Amino acid sequence: MMPFTVNLIGPSPWGFRISGGRDFKKAITVSKVNAGSKAETACLQPGDIIMEINGLNTGEMLNVEAQNKIKSCTTQLQLLVER
Amino acid sequence: MEMQYNNNNNGYGPEEYMIQEEDWDRDLLLDPAWEKQQRKTFTAWCNSHLRKAGTQIDNIEEDFRNGLKLMLLLEVISGERLPKPDRGKMRFHKIANVNKALEYITSKGVKLVSIGAEEIVDGNVKMTLGMIWTIILRFAIQDISVEETSAKEGLLLWCQRKTAPYRNVNVQNFHCSWKDGLAFCALIHRHRPDLIDYSKLNKDDPLGNLNLALEIAEKHLDIPKMLDPEVTDLANTAVCGGRLFMTRVSCYYHAPHDPEDIINTPKPDERAIMTYVSCFYHAFAGAEQAETAANRICKVLGVNQENEKLMEEYERLASELLEWIHRTTPWLEKRAPESTMTAMRCKLEDFRDYRRMHKPPKVQEKCQLEISFNTLQTKLNISNRPAFMPSEGKMVSDITSAWQGLEHAEKGYEEWLLSEIRRLERVEHLAEKFQQKVATHESWAQGKDQLLTLRDYESASLTEVRALLRKHEAFESDLAAHQDRVEQIAAIAQELNELDYHAAGVINEHCQTICDQWDQLGTLTQKRREALERTEKLLETIDQLFLEFAKRSAPFNNWMEGAMEDLQDMFLVHSVDEVQNLISAHDQFKTTLPEADSERQAILSIYNEVQKIAQSYGISSKLTNIYCDITPAHINQTWEKEMSRQNVNERHRRQFAAQANAIGPWIQTRMEEIARSSVDLAGTLEDQMNQLKQFEHDIIKYKPNIDKLEGDHQLIQETLIFDNKHTNYTMEHIRVGWESLLTTIARTINEIETQILTRDAKGISQQQLNEFRSSFTHFDRKKKGGMETDDFRACLISMGYDLGEAEFARIMSLVDPNSSGRVTFQAFVDFMTRETGETDNSEQVVASFRILAADKPYILVDELRRELPPEQAEYCISRMPPYKGPDGVPGALDYTVFSTALYGESDL
Repeated sequence: MMPFTVNLIGPSPWGFRISGGRDFKKAITVSKVNAGSKAETACLQPGDIIMEINGLNTGEMLNVEAQNKIKSCTTQLQLLVER
Repeated sequence: MEMQYNNNNNGYGPEEYMIQEEDWDRDLLLDPAWEKQQRKTFTAWCNSHLRKAGTQIDNIEEDFRNGLKLMLLLEVISGERLPKPDRGKMRFHKIANVNKALEYITSKGVKLVSIGAEEIVDGNVKMTLGMIWTIILRFAIQDISVEETSAKEGLLLWCQRKTAPYRNVNVQNFHCSWKDGLAFCALIHRHRPDLIDYSKLNKDDPLGNLNLALEIAEKHLDIPKMLDPEVTDLANTAVCGGRLFMTRVSCYYHAPHDPEDIINTPKPDERAIMTYVSCFYHAFAGAEQAETAANRICKVLGVNQENEKLMEEYERLASELLEWIHRTTPWLEKRAPESTMTAMRCKLEDFRDYRRMHKPPKVQEKCQLEISFNTLQTKLNISNRPAFMPSEGKMVSDITSAWQGLEHAEKGYEEWLLSEIRRLERVEHLAEKFQQKVATHESWAQGKDQLLTLRDYESASLTEVRALLRKHEAFESDLAAHQDRVEQIAAIAQELNELDYHAAGVINEHCQTICDQWDQLGTLTQKRREALERTEKLLETIDQLFLEFAKRSAPFNNWMEGAMEDLQDMFLVHSVDEVQNLISAHDQFKTTLPEADSERQAILSIYNEVQKIAQSYGISSKLTNIYCDITPAHINQTWEKEMSRQNVNERHRRQFAAQANAIGPWIQTRMEEIARSSVDLAGTLEDQMNQLKQFEHDIIKYKPNIDKLEGDHQLIQETLIFDNKHTNYTMEHIRVGWESLLTTIARTINEIETQILTRDAKGISQQQLNEFRSSFTHFDRKKKGGMETDDFRACLISMGYDLGEAEFARIMSLVDPNSSGRVTFQAFVDFMTRETGETDNSEQVVASFRILAADKPYILVDELRRELPPEQAEYCISRMPPYKGPDGVPGALDYTVFSTALYGESDL
C-alpha cells in the first residue's frame, strides 16, 4: 500500500465526502465521491484514507477540523492518500 | 396497560399448526361450504387490491382463468411490473400469461407445489384457491421462507402481544379465538382507541362485536369486510372445532344467509381469519412505522437542537470570560505609583476584594466552562456526532493561555503592591525623620548667625575676649558635632530621592538651604574666630605691654613710692594718664586672672560634669548627644514600643501558622480522598457519585476556615511581616491549594456523571433485558442458544417490524456478520439496544424520512407538517435544501442532504 498524491485544481467544490477523525477514533476516509466531480477525475475513490491535507498530517485532526481545512482551500488541494 | 408476554402458548406448540395444515389435504378442500367461504374471503381480498387498478373479479375460479387479472393483481400488490401479457384469446396465450404470473410468484421465493398453469386455465377451484392463498401468504403475511410457520407464528405472536392487556381476550389460534369478536375489537382499540369504546363491549354479544369491528375496519381503516359475523359467532354453536364452521364464514360473506348455516359451522376458516387479520397488521404496522419514524426523527432533531444550544452556551460563556480576562489583565498590569500610603492601601484593598469576591466566581465559571465542554463532547460522541470545535479564539487552549496570563499579571501585581507599600512606608518614615532632624537643627541654628556676627569683642577686655574665645571654642566643637546631623540630613534627602519620594523637590530645596546655611555658619564661625584671635592678640599685645609696663612699673612703683618721697623730683613719667593706665591695667590683670582661671575651672568642671553624666548613662560621650532630642527617656519609650510591636508580630505569626498548619494538611487529605475514590472500583458509579457529593459538602462547610486564614494573613501584611518560621505554608500555597481542591472535586464529579451518561446511553434496564430474554427463548426453537434466520424473522414480525427483503438482509448482516445462520442472544441484545437505544446514524434518519415521504427521494412541506410536531416540522422546512434530482417537483425538499448534515457530513 503505497501512498500517493492527489492534486485537485480549484476552485471548490471538489465533490467528495469524508468520515472519521480523532473524535470517531477512525482515520479520515473518503466516504463518497460524486459522479463527474473533480475528485472523481483525479481518481479519488471511496475507502481511500487521507493521510495529509496540503502537507498537514491528519492523524490528530477532529472530523470538523479536517472538513474545514479542505473547505478553506481555494486554489489547489493536495492530498496524500493511501489505498 | 402494560405489555405482558402471554405465555399461555406453551401447551399449544407449533405441532398443532402442523396438524391443521396436514388436515387440509386435498379431499377436505373439496368441502363445498368451506370452499365457498374461502372463495368469498379471497375474492374480497383480491378485489381490495384490484380496485386500485380499476377492476374487479366476481368469480374467483373464472376470472383468473385467462391470467390477465392475475398478472394485474400481482403488479398491484408488489408494485413491480410483470412482462407484457399476450393479448391473444387462444388457450396457449392464456397458459403463457398464467405462467408469467406463476414465474413471478416463484421468483419471489415461493415454492408452488403441483400448481400448474393448465389447471388454473381450466378453472380448477382448489388449485386456484390454493394459488391465491399462496399469494396472500407471501405478499400479505410477510415474506415466506420454505416453511410457512415462521410468518404465521409471527403474526400470531403479534396478535397476542397487542391483545395481551385485554383480559377477556385470549388469542391462541386463527380460528376459535376470534369467534366472539372481542379479539378484533381489542386490536382496533389497541391502536385507535378513538374508534371504539371497548369497555361497553359484551362477551356474550359476539355478533354485535364482530359487526362492530367489521364496520369500523371498513369505514375507518380501509379494510373491506372479508368475514361473515354470523359464521364466527360462538353463541349459536356448541363445539369449537370441525370444518363446517369454516363454511359458514364463506357462506355469510356476500349476502345474508340462512341462520341455520350458523349452527353448522362451529369453527371459522383459519386462512380467512389470517387473511383478514393480516390486513389489520398492515394497517396498524404501517401507521406504527410512520409513528416510529417520526419519533426517531424528533429524537434526532431534539438531540441536535440540544447540542446546538450547548454549543451556543459554550461560545457565550467563553466570550464573557475572555472579555472579563481582557478587561482585568490590564488593570493588574498597571504600575501607576501612588503618592500616599492611604491611596496605596486602597489599591491593596481593591486587590483583596478582587481575590476574595470577584475572582472566585470567575474561577467557578472557568471550571464550569471546562465541564460544559467535556459534557458536550461526551454527548456528541455518544450520539455519533463529530466533535465540537469552538470558533477561532475561543478554543480551550485560548482560554487557558488567557487565564495563565491573568494569573501571571496577578502575581506581579501583588508583589508590586507590597513593595510599593513598603517603599512608601520607608519614605514616609524618612520624610518624618527628615523633618524632625531639620526642625531640631533649625531650632539649634536659630540665631546662631546673629551671635556669630556680634562685635562684642570690640569693646571687651582681654579676659572678656579670652572668655569669648573659650565660648567660641565650645561653640566650634558644638558645631563640629552638628556637622554629623547635617550630613545625616543630607543622607536622608539623598535616600528620599533614590526612593522616588514624590515631594523630593521640596526636600531637596530645604536640604540645600540647610547646607548653604551650614556653610555660611562655618564661614561665620571661622571669621569670628579670626576676629576674636586677632582681638586677643591685640589685647595680649596690649596686655604684654601692660605687663611690661607693670613689670616696669613695679620697680617703677617702688621707684614711685621711693620716689614719692622725692616727689619733688619731677622727671617722673611723661603722662599721668600713662601711669594711671599702667596702674589700672595692672589692677585689671590681677583681677582677670582668677576670673579666667575660675572660668577655666568652670569649663573643666562642666566638662567633667558632662563626662560623669555621660558615663553614668552609658551613652556615647559625644557632646551632640545632649543637643540631641533623643533623651534616655525618649530612647526607653521607643525601645518599649519596638519590643511590643515585635511581640504582636510574633503573635500574628503564630496565629497564621497554627491556622495554615491545620488547613494545609486538611486540603492535602481531601485531595488524596478524591483521588482514591475515583480509583476504587468496589461500588457502583452512583455510590461513587454519592461519596463525591459528600466530599463536596464537607469542603463547602470548611470554607470559613479559609476566610479566617485570609484575615490572619491580612494582619500580617499590614504589619509588614514577611517571614514566618512557624509554618512552611504561605497564603499563596493555601489559596492555590484551595482553588485546586474546588476545581478537582467539580471535575471528578463531572467525570463520574459522564461515565453514568455513557453507561445509560448504551445500557438497558433489567426489565428490558427480561423481555428480550423471553422473546429470544421462545424463538430459539432448538434451544441451542441461537435463533435460526427464519426464527429471527418471525421474532421481528412479532415485535411489529414489518420488513422488506433488503431491510431484513441488512439487519441479518449486522446481527450475523459471519453468515453462520444463527443469531446469538448477545447479538440479538446488541441489535435490540442499537435499534431501541440512543445511537443512530445518518442512514437511519434518512430511512425514517423515507418512510414519512412514502418512499420518495424528496419530501414535501405538507408531509413534514402532517407527520412531525409543528416545531420540528418548521425546523426541517427552514433547514432542508431544495431537492435537485431529475424526478423532483416544485417544493420538493432534500431530506438526505439534511440528514447527513445533522451528523456533520457535507459535500466538500
